Amino acid sequence: MPTELPYAADAEDSLQYDELEVLRIQYQKELAQGHITVQTKFNYAWGLVKSPQRDLQVEGVRLLQEIYRAEPARRRECLYYLALGHYKMGNYDEASKFNGLLVDKEPTNMQAQSLNMLIEKAVSREGYIGMAIAGGAAAIGTIVLAGLIRRARK
Amino acid sequence: MPPANSKKSSTSSAEGAAAPPINCKLLLIGNSSVGKSSLLLRFSDEQWLPEDESSATIGVDFRVHKMEVKGKKVKLSIWDTAGQERFRTITSSYYRGAQGVILVYDVSSRDSFDALPRWYSELETYVSPSVVRIVVGNKVDKEFSRQVPTTEAQAFATRMNSLFLETSAKTALGVESVFKEVVEKIIDTPELWDTSSKAARGANGNATAPVGMPGGGVDLGDDERDSAGGAGGCAC
Repeated sequence: MPTELPYAADAEDSLQYDELEVLRIQYQKELAQGHITVQTKFNYAWGLVKSPQRDLQVEGVRLLQEIYRAEPARRRECLYYLALGHYKMGNYDEASKFNGLLVDKEPTNMQAQSLNMLIEKAVSREGYIGMAIAGGAAAIGTIVLAGLIRRARK
Repeated sequence: MPPANSKKSSTSSAEGAAAPPINCKLLLIGNSSVGKSSLLLRFSDEQWLPEDESSATIGVDFRVHKMEVKGKKVKLSIWDTAGQERFRTITSSYYRGAQGVILVYDVSSRDSFDALPRWYSELETYVSPSVVRIVVGNKVDKEFSRQVPTTEAQAFATRMNSLFLETSAKTALGVESVFKEVVEKIIDTPELWDTSSKAARGANGNATAPVGMPGGGVDLGDDERDSAGGAGGCAC
């Protein structure tokens, strides 16, 4: 029986508004109290990264980077979600860098492998679009140039 | 005889070959290192990774698997959650909309079995009572270090109104049956999947909506990915 390719579930899935609110309120509460637990911060960062909204993704990635620096025990999940966040934002180089660090640590990690596939797919898709744009620009350039040459000849 | 032009089949029935597949959302939960991901890997890829090569799941992993059960096409989306405590808040957000839950413990770890009641109380919070549950004792290949007798686990599962099986992701024993039995039971419970059945989803999704989860009956992800099936699918 067929199974489709592995999939990074968190890449497309986002939280509902009130679910993210729960995580945000907890974070804000601890922020006001002057002590944010790693767990609260991580949960909130995860919720932000999953959001379809870019400004939230950016904030999520920022928090994850702070956790990565401060909490060696949390590095593997930070790397994964940093890669995912950058992937969602279209920063494929960064995504690939963070995911690569995770793969270095855990070469058989299947989640990292499937995220890697997604990143590579996105990069090649972008490559095609880039080529198409470049191709289009070249075509227009040729037309313009041809026009100029024709006019010059008159 | 199915009509030749059955593309616009009604969504009211899943009968017949041309009917869209029934979408089923399954959830794997249980303590860390009991073999949830290994069960999924064995089931979906017929593979097994030794312990030193496998890594703890980060947050949640996801697979889509198609199978045919009782003459019906079923599209399984299987959500493999991290067992580690620190992902608990995160993974609970994936419970919503599940029709089947696979609660896994390790037969060679008493702790993982004793933790099952806590997993059940999580379920009570997030999924409806009609959701199919199965208790799975994995790693029976480690028979020599078994800590949980089969009879005890079977009795527990019965008490919890759940199916029960023992498996080995390593040898593949029982793995296929776990998924098959869960799906069969789901098929036998039309309110879990048949959108035409009134119980499936009221106007607000209240009928089977999990307690405390707004908009509970709605699945997050797999419907969008199924561009062919579209929104006419089902409540999973």
